[in-house]
Amino acid sequence: MNSLQTWMHMYLLLIRTTVRSRMQYKFNFVIGSFLAAFIQISEFLMVAIVLARFGGIRGWSIHEVGYLVAVMTLSKTLYRTIADEVHHLEKYLVSGDFDQLLTRPLPVLLALMPQSFRIMIGEVMQGGFILWWSLAGMLQAGTIGWPTVWWTPFIILTGAIILFSIGLATATIGFWTTRISELQTFTEDAARSAAQYPLAIYPKWLASFLLYAIPVGFVNYLPSLYLVKGELGAWVLAVTTAMALICLAAALRFWQFGITKYQSTGS
Amino acid sequence: MIEARHLYKEFKTPAIKGGRFSGVRTLFSREYRVKEAVRDISFQVLPGEFVGYIGPNGAGKSTTIKMLTGILHPTSGEVRIRGLNPHRERRKTVQQLGVVFGQRSQLWWDLPVKDSYDILAHMYRVPAELKKQRLERFAELLNLPEFWDTPVRKLSLGQRMRADLAAAMLHDPDLLFLDEPTIGLDVHAKQGIREFLRQLNKEYGKTILLTTHDMDDIEQLCSRVMVINHGALSYDGTVAELRERIGLPAVITVTYRGGCQIPVLEQPGLVYRIVSAEGEILRIEADLRATGVMELIKELGTWGEIADLSIEGPDFEEVVRRFSE
Amino acid sequence: MLYFTLASKAYARNLQYRGAHLIHNLASAMFGFIYASIWIGVGDHASLGTYGIQGMVSYISFTQAALWVTSFISNGLGIPQSVRTGHISLDLMRPVHLFSHLMAREWGQIAYQFIYKSIPIYLIYVFVFSLQLPMQWTTYCLTALSLAGASYLAICMNYLIGISALWTTESSWLYWGNHALINLLSGFFIPLEWLPGGLEKLSWISPYPYLLYVPTSMYLERGNIAWLGGTLIWCVLMTAVCLLATRVARRKVEVQGG
Repeated sequence: MNSLQTWMHMYLLLIRTTVRSRMQYKFNFVIGSFLAAFIQISEFLMVAIVLARFGGIRGWSIHEVGYLVAVMTLSKTLYRTIADEVHHLEKYLVSGDFDQLLTRPLPVLLALMPQSFRIMIGEVMQGGFILWWSLAGMLQAGTIGWPTVWWTPFIILTGAIILFSIGLATATIGFWTTRISELQTFTEDAARSAAQYPLAIYPKWLASFLLYAIPVGFVNYLPSLYLVKGELGAWVLAVTTAMALICLAAALRFWQFGITKYQSTGS
Repeated sequence: MIEARHLYKEFKTPAIKGGRFSGVRTLFSREYRVKEAVRDISFQVLPGEFVGYIGPNGAGKSTTIKMLTGILHPTSGEVRIRGLNPHRERRKTVQQLGVVFGQRSQLWWDLPVKDSYDILAHMYRVPAELKKQRLERFAELLNLPEFWDTPVRKLSLGQRMRADLAAAMLHDPDLLFLDEPTIGLDVHAKQGIREFLRQLNKEYGKTILLTTHDMDDIEQLCSRVMVINHGALSYDGTVAELRERIGLPAVITVTYRGGCQIPVLEQPGLVYRIVSAEGEILRIEADLRATGVMELIKELGTWGEIADLSIEGPDFEEVVRRFSE
Repeated sequence: MLYFTLASKAYARNLQYRGAHLIHNLASAMFGFIYASIWIGVGDHASLGTYGIQGMVSYISFTQAALWVTSFISNGLGIPQSVRTGHISLDLMRPVHLFSHLMAREWGQIAYQFIYKSIPIYLIYVFVFSLQLPMQWTTYCLTALSLAGASYLAICMNYLIGISALWTTESSWLYWGNHALINLLSGFFIPLEWLPGGLEKLSWISPYPYLLYVPTSMYLERGNIAWLGGTLIWCVLMTAVCLLATRVARRKVEVQGG
């Protein structure tokens, strides 16, 4: 526990110093953030135009789909803000910088994460905006109550844990293959994009795949079935939490095992 | 301080196949090519020693260092760092080590140098007061303040190496591993680094092990040198002894006032070879173990009027090259 | 011959990582599958106009395959990188014109992506969605023409984005901005006729429809041959702008010495 505390101190320090050094270029920072938000939103806009024109999809209204997109975006943002370097492990394996992490008096994962801190204001603005817009729409339509609003931060957190676990497990494969970016496109980008829309639109096999093989469906779709559609029951939240913890434990175990297979680059 | 017993390290790489669909077949193949990077290396380093670890590229230098610092696990054999096993007690061991890889920085690329120190101090649990004291000391020795607020990515190579050395010493380890600390630096920067290392060793009693390709590093710093070749230690002893053992000739440069007369017949008992004779300057090579220095100088004196004379030891680069062949 | 050598080198460089590309193709195919599923889901309860569900699935399949030759090309043609390393001044001083030099290299990349991305991805869709292939050879000709024009346009656009790196350190914003506009205005996901009125008009005065919408329409035999004229005009226009930009860039590099 003590070491976790030290680590938190260190991480907070990293955040402070990163923000301070980034703020030296305020103009770039602000423009960059807005642009990132616009770019991210263009993708949702593209789908929203279609949903607005044709009136929802498989019983999900445009606001409900917006909620799925927003939760996924914010979960991903939370994961990538804190643990961006896990996603970039390939860089460390290729350059041999991973060696350096092994000379730190910390568990390797805890040494890896604070190697950089990523400020993702653009994604927070985009996700936050879509979330606000979709919650407001659903509240107005009377399809959800306030409890959904209160539960949202919680499922964003469990979602972030699930995405982190998927990211960590994928990165771990790099200890065998070194190259992982293509695999990440599959397990992280493609899977996450798929789960931005109701899984009901996919064939059975794909929906199952996104729930049980790469459990992105647990990030937003499953909790939303209860929180947004009022289906299933409150137990869904318990299952989601359990799933997040199981994924995390499994990914950490796999990582521990993977590290023992690490072969530093030659000579 | 360091104890290495019968270290072996093998690397397994999947055998790459040629021909059609080679990529897919390699993916599913179970064939490996085994490369023995380190074969049966044993040695001990005592507190306060300054050891140079040299050998040609690919000889196993870095692999050894990586095993000593807990980055790689030996295939067999054992490492003890102050009695600890860096494999089984990695975190405890590395807390007592300073490690610098010349080719890469351990500092935060986008942050000002001093912020990196703050983060490292937290990582190694160095109290604020001690951190301040140590940094003040390094600041003076390494002239850190000139780039205190500069992001690491903007530092020159020499500045970066100084910053990295200070980072490695921030938690005051007794043992320091340096992998090519002077690589790519200019003469001036090298001198600064060497001066700092010398002080660490002499005044603060730090034990240092460094690998290098620069033989001046070895000559100026190390009390002991180990040569590795094809994964095995081929020499372990003092620098002078190494030179002695190989028996490379020393080079003697003589300047004669008004030229010299080189005798046609060699004096019996004197073994030398004339390298060049241009105008007043004569260069000869001689094995000073076989031929006494005084006799040789006496002989040279009979060839003309000596205005100046200098003797250079064998070229170290040459020593290692010959040793490695 | 130089240009051919440049192109074939870029092509060959990519051949090294086949296993990784296999996975990447599956992931890429997945994206099209997602978009097609959205249209199938929407078509469930609403009529999809003259396209119909099968038509929209064909539409998405083709755009997703075509993306790899008309949109996903090297960021700024690699110019921002060579600006960072200072290599750009060398490139500009070569006896070969920077524009044609980079263009040749990118054609090699595009040829590679066409064979190893577009075609396999499209084949996956053909099987998964049981797509019909066009019967008339003229369709293939028109598609090839409009795709080649689209690739050419894409190279020009990325060249301009790349060149901008000489003036700003944030040229990657332009790259991503360009991507956002491709998403919205090129018919990437929505056929242009279904864009809200203002956006549809806006798209037709931009070069974006010629990147994806026009080739796709040609392929689906819903296009208008006159659109190829639009492709041609944009290609000529863009070429002129690129040459002009190179001249300005060279002057800037000469004045500042890189």
